[in-house]
Amino acid sequence: MRRWWVALALVAVYLGIGATVAKATEKIFPYAYQQTVLDNGLTVILIPMESPGIVAYYSIVRTGSRDEYEPGHSGFAHFFEHMMFRGTKKYPGPVYDKMMTSMGADANAFTSSDITCYHLEVTTDDLEKVMELESDRFQNLSYEEDAFKTEAGAVRGEYLKSLSSPGFVLRETLLNTAFDRHTYKHTTIGFGQDVEAMPTMYEYSKSFFNRYYRPENVVLLIVGDIKPDPTLALVKKYYSAWQKGYVPPQVPTEPEQTTARHAEASFQGRTLPIMAIAYKSPGFDPDNITLAACQLLGDLAFGETSDIYKKLVLEQQRVQYLRPGFGPSRDPGLMSIYTMVKDSADLSAVEEEIYRTIEQYQTTPPDEARLKDVKSAIRYSFLMGLDTPGHVAGNLNYLLAIGGSMDVVDRMYAALDRVTAKDVMDAAKTVLAKDKRTVVLVEGR
Amino acid sequence: MPSKKKTIARLLVACVCAIGWSQMSWGVGTIELPVPTDPTITFRIWFKVGSQNDPAGKEGLASLTAAMISNAGTMRDSYDQILKKLYPMAASYGAGVDKEMTVITGRVHRDNVNAFTDLLTEAILHPAFTAEDFQRHKTNVTNYLDKTLRYSNDEAFGKEMLYDAIFANTPYGHPDAGLPGSVRSITLDDVKNFYHTHYTAGNVVIGIGGNFDPSLVNRLKSALDALPPGVPAAVAKSSPKPPDGIEAVLVDKETKSTAISIGFPIDLLRGNRDFYALWIANSWLGEHRNSSSHLYNVIREKRGMNYGDYSYIEYYPAGWARQFPAPNAPRRQQFFEIWIRPVQNEATHFALRAAIRELQGLIDKGMSAEDFALTRGFLKKYVRHYAPTTDLRLGYKIDDAFYGIPDHLQTAEKMFDALTLDDVNRAIKKYLQTSNMKIAIITKDAQALKQALVSDAPSPMTYATPKPPEVLEEDKTIAVYPLKIRPEKVVVVPVDSTFMR
Repeated sequence: MRRWWVALALVAVYLGIGATVAKATEKIFPYAYQQTVLDNGLTVILIPMESPGIVAYYSIVRTGSRDEYEPGHSGFAHFFEHMMFRGTKKYPGPVYDKMMTSMGADANAFTSSDITCYHLEVTTDDLEKVMELESDRFQNLSYEEDAFKTEAGAVRGEYLKSLSSPGFVLRETLLNTAFDRHTYKHTTIGFGQDVEAMPTMYEYSKSFFNRYYRPENVVLLIVGDIKPDPTLALVKKYYSAWQKGYVPPQVPTEPEQTTARHAEASFQGRTLPIMAIAYKSPGFDPDNITLAACQLLGDLAFGETSDIYKKLVLEQQRVQYLRPGFGPSRDPGLMSIYTMVKDSADLSAVEEEIYRTIEQYQTTPPDEARLKDVKSAIRYSFLMGLDTPGHVAGNLNYLLAIGGSMDVVDRMYAALDRVTAKDVMDAAKTVLAKDKRTVVLVEGR
Repeated sequence: MPSKKKTIARLLVACVCAIGWSQMSWGVGTIELPVPTDPTITFRIWFKVGSQNDPAGKEGLASLTAAMISNAGTMRDSYDQILKKLYPMAASYGAGVDKEMTVITGRVHRDNVNAFTDLLTEAILHPAFTAEDFQRHKTNVTNYLDKTLRYSNDEAFGKEMLYDAIFANTPYGHPDAGLPGSVRSITLDDVKNFYHTHYTAGNVVIGIGGNFDPSLVNRLKSALDALPPGVPAAVAKSSPKPPDGIEAVLVDKETKSTAISIGFPIDLLRGNRDFYALWIANSWLGEHRNSSSHLYNVIREKRGMNYGDYSYIEYYPAGWARQFPAPNAPRRQQFFEIWIRPVQNEATHFALRAAIRELQGLIDKGMSAEDFALTRGFLKKYVRHYAPTTDLRLGYKIDDAFYGIPDHLQTAEKMFDALTLDDVNRAIKKYLQTSNMKIAIITKDAQALKQALVSDAPSPMTYATPKPPEVLEEDKTIAVYPLKIRPEKVVVVPVDSTFMR
């Protein structure tokens, strides 16, 4: 078992962001935390903070739709999220629900490409009961085939609901076009035909649980009104019997993209044209300067304070919105620019304007003052989002899913601080390269 | 009827609250929520103007005016310059407009509070109202009304159609964003006039929370005192015509699944003891996005027909995007609502019957002692999750001031202890019914659905997967449950015609 305490210089100074910004090389995360890896591989992160009587309890499974590498089984991580509420022999679904109700828990879950996260906010008094229930369902999930098939109906309803959004159609087309082999090719909810076939996959669902819902693949994050040592003792009491057995998914490597791609899709309803221009990006590495530079580049080049935003959104008003999506993903993914164009006749001009902006960043380093502003905004934004246990856990869970450990938080923000104007220019050259581009356009009727 | 003693007590509470926040003749009112441990400062500047103040033919004017203040340039800075000043602070301000109130919101770290306050007050006091900003906002709203509201989120569309039906011909009777035709008719002069009429020193309350210095409050008060004096004329309370039987509007649209919303007005507001009693009943029937919801259990959990099924005893903004209700959408007239998330088109009639039957079951049988105890215990803890941040607590304080009541969420916790099962079951019978309701449905082949509804034709449910015998047996009853909808009470509207008035 590994265990260590991290006592940061800024422990008491969530109240003092100014100091953090001024000393950019210091660690950013302002709370003390305790990270422990149990013998069975379960990573436990405990973050005490002032929040009278309230605890956020996050079970982070480092599995998302990325892990659905077997043909015909896309959407299973999300579907499985639903099944986790069906209970165990000890606490069947209705009993689990009733106990959650009696605790007044704010309980829910979500799935994305890299994570399935089960989150609760409860009172401190109920922490042990929650731990007993959550550890039980993660170890002993049990459901009958009929219940499995019924839940497939709910997932189908969710899929059909998604289709009424042009944004979903854009995302689905973008991923399907940009990726050939990697599982990022499908959206989290899965390919439509796979969603339809889910009711026949009962046996597979048990295999999915046995391979991925294992302690080595889970981070347990508890934030709020807790005392670390007794809380860790409870974690050991309830989770130590959980057996190892994680089987890593055989996620295919995406071949290098060598030519630009383009796709168009139609939306059955009305919408203004929506365009995504996306580039293949590096996978998550908290120390990777290119990746960090990309995150800054997104805001610099296409954020609300960029020149192109001023021109296209505010002055010429040719687009309804323009926004970057340059966040990290566990495996090499996409850095995307999204825009909604007011007049189809302007599509080419808007697209060219975006390319001109990219070329500018590929040839000229950004202004130092603007780079400083972006770094400041990113840090303030992160720190201002740490005011409740739910917000702390909500802001950390994705990084923990793709990084696996609390140290990645400080490392990633340290890398962001190290980025120079030249790094941004180099990232623009290497990542936003024409050959690695995919453009998708969705138009309505 | 409330007792005389209780009435006097409520009046006293209302007066005390009013003194606590409302504007006096000598200055702007404030609502303060000091939280010394919070490193940020949150602002909610409340103007007592909302979409109910939209002039006829200019629906959407309140929203457009708020956007021209909160997302546009000032006399000193262009909007681009404002964005560049706010950006390094990771701070922003915006506006929320509901029927009765407009709230300019903002949050900033205390490191930057002076610079932020300067920008915020400048926006409120000296909006530039440029033609360029106006064109941008007007086009965005028009695009939203033409292309998004009715075409990209059927659940939101269904809800908006329901509200439109319930509050027809009242000041609440149009979307806050306006109507496609009315927004096109709004001019920049309309915005300026609306601003000068409603953004007055007598019509504003400063909400401030977090780790602020008292001098900041004085600074804000002095600044906003520079607004023109006066209090605009009050808008009469929206009093919707009660539904006459079940009245349905079926929107004909090419859909892959069907969105259903059901509702009717209820005369019940926060602060009333019955509100908390009905809250318990409603939580059992349809707690928002929670598997404890009985409707969820019947329609989703047992039958797998959709993604969720919930009910409400007051307006719940943007339910598809939030786990807990956002503050600052208080209303003098509330309504009961059932939200059935999209079901397969062919299951629409069955789902409608199932939901109404369950509501009638609650009315007929009341809550059981066991369900009452469980739900009361749930709510006592669950309300603690409603407002975990300074910003949300401040928002709730503003709503308390609107209703003239003491702390609503604390009151709820106390009421949940004090109320009895009889109180709850009495409230159910007093406020809930299934005979007179409005229904909005977004569906494919609406004419066929109309025929099925008005003939009360059986709607047997078929499933792709096996279901337990008890579910199939209950289905037989649901499939013929009479809704008694009269043909003249069902209107079919092509999607392109909705809101086109």
